[in-house]
Amino acid sequence: MKRKRLIIGVMLAVMCAWSVAAPNVRAAEPIVIGVATSLGFLEGKESIKAVQMAVDEINAAGGVKVGAGTRPFKVESIDLRDAAPGVPVPEALLGLEKIILEKKPTALMVGPFRSEALIAGMDIIAKYKVPLLGTIAMAPGSEKKIKEEPQKYKYVFRTCLNAVHLVKFLSGTMGAINKQFGFNKVYVMTQDVAWARATADLVKKLYFDKSGWTVLGMESYPTGTSDFSSALMKARAQGAQVIMPVFDMPQSGTLVKQWNTMKVPAIMAGFISPLAGSEAWKIFDGKIGGVLNTTFELGSAMAASKLPASTNFMQKYQKKYGQEIQAGHGPAPSYESVYILKEAIERTGSLDPDAIVAGLEKTDRQGVMGRIRYDAGHQAVYGFDPAETGVSLVSQWTDSGKRIVVFPDSLAENAIQLPTGLKSAK
Amino acid sequence: MFAGTIVFALINSFILILMAIGFNLTFGISGVANFAYGALYIMSAYMSWTMLNLLHLPFWASAVLSIGFTMISGALMYRFVLLRVRGQALSEVIATFGIGLAILELFRYLGLVGFEYTLPVFSNESFMIAGAYVDIQRIAIVLIGLLLVLGLWLFTHFTATGLAFRAIAQDERTALTFGIDSDWAATLSVSFGAGLAAIAATIIIPLGSIAPDEGYDVLIKALAICIIGGLGSTGGVIVAGFIVGFAERFTDTYIGSHWTMIVSLAAILLVLAIKPSGLFGRQKELEERI
Repeated sequence: MKRKRLIIGVMLAVMCAWSVAAPNVRAAEPIVIGVATSLGFLEGKESIKAVQMAVDEINAAGGVKVGAGTRPFKVESIDLRDAAPGVPVPEALLGLEKIILEKKPTALMVGPFRSEALIAGMDIIAKYKVPLLGTIAMAPGSEKKIKEEPQKYKYVFRTCLNAVHLVKFLSGTMGAINKQFGFNKVYVMTQDVAWARATADLVKKLYFDKSGWTVLGMESYPTGTSDFSSALMKARAQGAQVIMPVFDMPQSGTLVKQWNTMKVPAIMAGFISPLAGSEAWKIFDGKIGGVLNTTFELGSAMAASKLPASTNFMQKYQKKYGQEIQAGHGPAPSYESVYILKEAIERTGSLDPDAIVAGLEKTDRQGVMGRIRYDAGHQAVYGFDPAETGVSLVSQWTDSGKRIVVFPDSLAENAIQLPTGLKSAK
Repeated sequence: MFAGTIVFALINSFILILMAIGFNLTFGISGVANFAYGALYIMSAYMSWTMLNLLHLPFWASAVLSIGFTMISGALMYRFVLLRVRGQALSEVIATFGIGLAILELFRYLGLVGFEYTLPVFSNESFMIAGAYVDIQRIAIVLIGLLLVLGLWLFTHFTATGLAFRAIAQDERTALTFGIDSDWAATLSVSFGAGLAAIAATIIIPLGSIAPDEGYDVLIKALAICIIGGLGSTGGVIVAGFIVGFAERFTDTYIGSHWTMIVSLAAILLVLAIKPSGLFGRQKELEERI
């Protein structure tokens, strides 16, 4: 009888202890961040590292305040492979659904590379109501959908630059070239993907056509192309003064090498992803001197001394991973997105997706890329002043293998220099 | 610009010929359609890159070693996999395609994707030819392509192994009666085909970068050239290389770059519709006549 009482007593004690400890056990449960992107590509690899870095920093500082308690972040990931040529959108979407169902993330980050996959994936995100802070795909189509059906698609946010804001930077660079050297004949070369074509079309429509430029040709190349000789010959034959490339495929560095070896007398200014990082000089045999390249977000592959937060971020990344960031698109907004999510959760004190969305909409953060706020289409606002908006930057490779910030004026370290052998039209 | 287009079309033709000639050699001798061909091409490039960048071997040593390893891989693939399904065309295709898929997807799984994965060019110099600057690497591709085609012709006409290859290709049963071991010849043909893929990778990859997707692209291009030229016909490969090479560059220059990819696929469809055996192929001629 005594023994029976003892057992019942122990059981009651355990139950009491459990009821007291349970909230704390639950409090220690991590908040899962699902990183669903093309992990095999440079931008994906470095973006997930940036996410992990932010998560480690936040966890080391005590985690995320949710109501009365604090909880750590935890990163789960899946390779969507959508950046690889030939991978169909439905396959990428399967990956997106898989991570939502299996890992139960509170929020998704980075997201698909291809805008085609993001736009198609918005229905899955709406179905499961998981907020996504995208940092790679750039076509403005997702914003249009959010504005058309805000209740359904409100879970999708974009912290990185979009094609519309990129247009502002490309147009600004072209304006600076025109003002400095009097150039007004351009040959446009893009990758045959939605965001790149949309960007080129918008620069033509919103800047070239209105500013008296002559667009000598617009060529789009399938992903994987590694011979650009025809377009370069056409650019030379038609007297192009500027070549504007818009590419994010690994082979696009070949375009610059060919531009160099074919001695095309035109300045190259635009976006070529492989040229963003410091390693590009060595990889492309030093044949990239004079090229102007856009870094999509300040802090991704390039910092500006005029914004110390960007320099600190790059130094922390290098210290943690032993190498510099090489991707000019993705890492900085991915890092920032984790902090933006943390602030949104703490603002509302809830992990409910609708509450998180409400919290994200109130974002106003001064960080690595400048000031981040989201507009009605849930796109982070980019401009030329880091005190007011997020910023991109344009840098120029020198003949000695250095990158100098030349645009926007708020971050510029020097004026644009003409490549060796090229003469000003002024 | 017209003359420049011809120069780059010529270079493009030799790139295509180099990409296809190994596939054609293997099929012409052993009848094996090696669908792992693109994977072997990329594998040799990754091997060169590894030896060059991680083991810090000189470029030429890396290239020679990777060509050697790729040839050995081809021979092993035949001895341990293809020999068991020899003569069953569908099984051969499935087996080689499976091996190729496994190799390429392994590289992707290992994260070997990015512009840093490339091989060095022979020289950074370029010369003016017909009004266009052409770099040494592209000139080298044309010269090496010519040497390889000539070397293959000499090999198959003046060496015992080459003559054995031709004998097997012409009539395997008769060749057997002359004491030629068909399995030995087939092993060598797959190995030599893999070696030619590795040589092509060594000189073509420096123009772009090493990527798993490039393996699929090379396989499609090799297939396109061989089907148009006629499977097993070296002359056919050369003619088809020139047809597609010129068509691609002229399409690029005068119609639009986004149409370029369609050219080779449209050429396959056209040839299959008009002459299913290809321009110089003899595989199905009898059936066609009937």
